[in-house]
Amino acid sequence: MTRALSLLALVLALAACSDPKFDESSQLGPDPKLPDPKAYLLPPINVAPGEGWKNGATPKIAPGLRIQALATGLHHPRNVYVLPNGDILAVQAKSPPSEPVKRPKDLIFGIVKSKATKFPGSPDAESRITLIRDANGDGKPELQVTLLDHLNSPFGVVWIDGFLYVANTDAIVRYPFTPGQTSITAPGQVLTELPGGPIDHHWTKSLTVSPDGQRLYATVGSNSNIVENGFEAEKNRAAVWEIDRATGRSRVFAGGLRNPNSPNFYPGTNTLWVVVNERDELGPHLVPDYLTSVKEGGFYGWPYSYYGQHLDPRVKPQRPDLVARAIKPDYALGSHVAALGLTFYTGTSLPAHYRGGAFIGEHGSWDRYTPSGYKVVFVPFANGRPSGKAEEVVGGFLNMDNGKSLGRPVGVAIDKTGALLIADDVGNTIWRVTAAAPAT
Amino acid sequence: MRDETDNGNPRSTARIFGHPIHPMLIPFPVAFFIGAFVTDIIYTQTAYLMWQYFSIWLITAGLIMGGLAAVFGFIDYFGNRRIRALRPATPHMLLNLLAMILSLVNAFVHSRDGWQAVVPTGIILSGIVVLILLVSAWLGGSMVYRHGAAVVE
Repeated sequence: MTRALSLLALVLALAACSDPKFDESSQLGPDPKLPDPKAYLLPPINVAPGEGWKNGATPKIAPGLRIQALATGLHHPRNVYVLPNGDILAVQAKSPPSEPVKRPKDLIFGIVKSKATKFPGSPDAESRITLIRDANGDGKPELQVTLLDHLNSPFGVVWIDGFLYVANTDAIVRYPFTPGQTSITAPGQVLTELPGGPIDHHWTKSLTVSPDGQRLYATVGSNSNIVENGFEAEKNRAAVWEIDRATGRSRVFAGGLRNPNSPNFYPGTNTLWVVVNERDELGPHLVPDYLTSVKEGGFYGWPYSYYGQHLDPRVKPQRPDLVARAIKPDYALGSHVAALGLTFYTGTSLPAHYRGGAFIGEHGSWDRYTPSGYKVVFVPFANGRPSGKAEEVVGGFLNMDNGKSLGRPVGVAIDKTGALLIADDVGNTIWRVTAAAPAT
Repeated sequence: MRDETDNGNPRSTARIFGHPIHPMLIPFPVAFFIGAFVTDIIYTQTAYLMWQYFSIWLITAGLIMGGLAAVFGFIDYFGNRRIRALRPATPHMLLNLLAMILSLVNAFVHSRDGWQAVVPTGIILSGIVVLILLVSAWLGGSMVYRHGAAVVE
């Protein structure tokens, strides 16, 4: 019995230890340092329970900027989108029903992770889209109204040519809509079905439209960390889909992207970019999440390999043919930061430094002791390519005193005044970042 | 309380309607842990995840039922010095404890994702546990069949 107790003590001691020392900045950029994969008895877990913003507290901001809440009291806002007339859509979502339990581990992980999504007394998540109107752009909305309710775990939304397209977790649905409208009464029409439940592990389906307006691009995340639900459950997943807007016909545009989100065309080009969440449980410093351009027909490794030809020891049978052509992604963002939001800065009101670069919402880590992410970063671009180190723009989402999260950033967008909008799903807030002084 | 049966054999402390409880429970962990080794072998041959998940549930069930069996085993061991005095009793207890500890470690190994849940550490631990159980179950059998532990007539 004493042995059992001492083993228990050992397990607890392991749980209390910290990540090995590592230069985090070596995993920012095109050539991340990749330590050897580890296998754990107890993978490092540090989930930040939600706390919420109290007494007017706000995230911390880089010099030269100012942050204010645009809308509060939302119901788990995951994404934010700006319509051509400047109206702002806040996409809120409930997670789909939890997937079937396969292993005792799934029960335990389910309980542990559920603490991170909300805090006691916070509004319940709803699957709805709220329209926010700030016509004079002063950051104080005149109108906040529910546009669509009782959706099926939506994330992506895009407007083009008289239709509002909503990416629910199981389908792209379109609604006839003219910007300026503040309600939608017409029923939605399914354009294209997407892989949903009963197993729907990475359920956020995000959306964008091609520069010519003809095709939609939807992201479909993998159905597991590393194929725990079998290969059949991964069919057409871990991919970016291309959808013909006229017919709804779809095909896989690129694959091997574990959990891609927030597809965006770089302004003025036909190059599609996406942020991707890489795999867990290989160690605190593996595998870095990334920002990458997506080539048609490209394969980016998951599940067989990462960053090109680094084999994942957990995957059997392997596919050397696919690994051989696995593309190394363009730009590493750091391990387990959980990059979910991406937008390119097309405005002019923020300092000139930000023009043409990428803002990225990092939801924050759970699979390591030292938290990573929990911030919005900026990656400078030159000639349509990343051109420097990622830097923190908005932080302070974690309360370092008690390890709880005040909020967690997800989707990002640029409003019609050129301000940066951030959906905060634990803080139930849309944040608006403007220049501290008018841009020069 | 008397520490022997009417015919002079060492008596079990944890009984239900006169039958000792520990031997009623012990088939469960033995069968579960052997089953886990078998499903591990099949997983290594097929890479089909169902077999790996059989293993982790079998190990979990083995830990739960083995834990229960251990409780009543301890009651018998510490409840009667004549049981303790039997030559196989202490090695039987220690080996079973070792099997349980290794199986607890094995449960964590089997909770990894994919191939590394079983190969190589998982299946090695499963195999060692089966070997230990063969010996410790034999010792347990000796206590009853040779030394008449808890045998009434």
